[in-house]
Amino acid sequence: MDDPAAGAPAAAVKALSCPSCGGAIEIKAAGYTVTIVCQYCSSVLDVANPDVRVITEYHEAAAALEIPPGTRGTLDGIEWEAIGYMRRSEGGSYPWDEYLLFNPYRGYRWLVTDGRGWSLGEMLTRTPEWSSPSGLFVGGERYEAFFRDTPAQVDYVLGEFYWRVAVGEEVVASTYVRPGWMLSREANGSEINWTLLRLLKPKEMSEAFGVDVPPRSRPPLPHQPSPYHGTIGKVATIGFATLGLLILLLILFSGRGPLLTERMTLPQTGQVQSATFGPITLDGAYQAVSIKARAPALDNAWVDLDYALVDRRTQVSYQAFGVAERYSGRDSEGSWTEGDRSSAIKMATVPAGIYDLVVDASATRWKTNPSAMIWGSAPRTGPEPIEVEIVASTGMTFLSNVIFAGFLILIPLGFMFFRHAAFETSRKGESDFSGTAAQDDEEDE
Amino acid sequence: MLKVNCPHCGAEVVFRSAALPVRVCDYCQTTLIRSDEGVRQVGKAATLPFDVSPIQIGTRGRFEDQAFEVIGRVRWGWTDGSWNEWLLLFADDRHAWLGEAMGQFMLLAERPIEDLRDEKFQSLLQGKPVDVGTEARLDDETLIAADMRGASCIAAEGELPFTAVTGWSITSVDFRSASGRCASLQRDQEGAHFYDGRYVTLAELSPTNLRPIEGWRMPAHG
Amino acid sequence: MNGRLFLYSLWCLGITGAFLAATMYGYSPFADGGRVAPRAGIYGPTHK
Repeated sequence: MDDPAAGAPAAAVKALSCPSCGGAIEIKAAGYTVTIVCQYCSSVLDVANPDVRVITEYHEAAAALEIPPGTRGTLDGIEWEAIGYMRRSEGGSYPWDEYLLFNPYRGYRWLVTDGRGWSLGEMLTRTPEWSSPSGLFVGGERYEAFFRDTPAQVDYVLGEFYWRVAVGEEVVASTYVRPGWMLSREANGSEINWTLLRLLKPKEMSEAFGVDVPPRSRPPLPHQPSPYHGTIGKVATIGFATLGLLILLLILFSGRGPLLTERMTLPQTGQVQSATFGPITLDGAYQAVSIKARAPALDNAWVDLDYALVDRRTQVSYQAFGVAERYSGRDSEGSWTEGDRSSAIKMATVPAGIYDLVVDASATRWKTNPSAMIWGSAPRTGPEPIEVEIVASTGMTFLSNVIFAGFLILIPLGFMFFRHAAFETSRKGESDFSGTAAQDDEEDE
Repeated sequence: MLKVNCPHCGAEVVFRSAALPVRVCDYCQTTLIRSDEGVRQVGKAATLPFDVSPIQIGTRGRFEDQAFEVIGRVRWGWTDGSWNEWLLLFADDRHAWLGEAMGQFMLLAERPIEDLRDEKFQSLLQGKPVDVGTEARLDDETLIAADMRGASCIAAEGELPFTAVTGWSITSVDFRSASGRCASLQRDQEGAHFYDGRYVTLAELSPTNLRPIEGWRMPAHG
Repeated sequence: MNGRLFLYSLWCLGITGAFLAATMYGYSPFADGGRVAPRAGIYGPTHK
């Protein structure tokens, strides 16, 4: 401050007066700014040359902007000043706002919004690594094509810019996205510019520039990440890992070999036969007991089995019943069979002890099989007594438990997948590449 | 290192390198050329217009682990804007250019024209125009023409390897690549020069002695 | 780790816990039969 030659900080602004209306204008990015719009009379001024010259005059009133030029805000820890504003559109439709941010030590950035959310953009100094019709690679990340070459025009400007911007100026823009990021390519005859934009969180924008952002936008922005993005893979991994673990436990604790194998012979008269088998020693504090009954020669008859597992000491009994049945015959379509020659039951939480298995069983012939009479086929087995093999075993796990747990595990997963898919369908609905574009008919290229 | 008094105004003028024979006197803007016979004046340089560049003569930094000091500048203008090219002097007497435009920095060093073998470069050297987006090969890398413009020298300051006379016009073609590399081919009436390098950020140069600008906090580096 | 992932992990942990508890007792809500009070009549050798 005391020694002029030693260099006081450079003034941040350069003042001049508008040749059209005489108003005092300040240039914030002196040396770079080419075009500045006079804030009093809206004349667009060319400041690239030492003499300020008026290029064109407009008589539009400046609309109240969300971020008036001169506003400062901090994003990613860097302070920026908004110095320019322009509104662009696709031939007048689907307009969007762009604010030019400046920091002399950091360069320029862009704040872009179409009303649904804000993105912070930076012009790239490198070109994409490779490209295919559906996407391209930049900085090691893949971006999928979203909008193909679309004309974008400038509809309104206010403030300063580093090139000779003019209302009506047009570029051809194409857009590529990945969750949270958008890559924009803009070309006119003499240059191609690539801009990488990051979708800002509503909190970043409201803290930086005091601008409110709608929490949920419909439809989602092209680069809006799904609410399940990033977590759906992890959730699926946890779900399937849990299911795998349960299946492993099912196998590990399914039990050893049979504790008892016996046979009963039942006449096919329906008369109940009773037999007591044992002893069955159950060692564990609690276990499940499976009883399987199998009648290999069963045909057109059924076997009722009443089981009672009786603790010798306490006389408490654990009861269940099973049915094995088998029917067969012929009809107009050929032979048919129905039923299962074995029956399996599983009793839960049987305490330790020495048990007898009391089986009350009967076999009954199914006399009224119409196909036997109509088709005159002799039943395959006569009314000989049916032999039933009964096998009892123990285990700790139930397949039905695993299946039930599987449903519980997969239902929330399915719900999340469904919601994620619905979001992505909604997001891609706007794209030119989704195949379900709700746009106008495609023009010939 | 040669210290002389400016023949025009008497102020002390320093020439740091024999490879940089041209110097603009900081006080009277007279352009001086140093040769075996001594130092002579060759006219006055235009005053630089005001700008908000963070770099100034005397800024120091590091590029790829080599320390440099900014000792000169040429300001170029074209129909739609202007940019700075800062001259960097390294400890081993090499020099390079730091091009500054739209807040982006290109660090370039001159390379012999003979290195340009691709036919697209040859075509440019012959004066034929090239479309933006045209690809040319150099050192197993594909460079893409990013823009082509005619420019003229606005002003200069400090020490320079050549006389930067106001009004000197060139045609400049800039190239970019997928890796961040950049190049610039500049042609004027007398010949062509080719510069090769890459884009850098101000932060990665760890600069010190940046120009303070009112109202803005200088980032802490180096 | 976000909220959804955490809650789902808790959910799976709970299911696994319940499964392990059921396995310890050889229990299933889908099991057959049940226990009844001591029957009339005596089966098996209860006295020598």
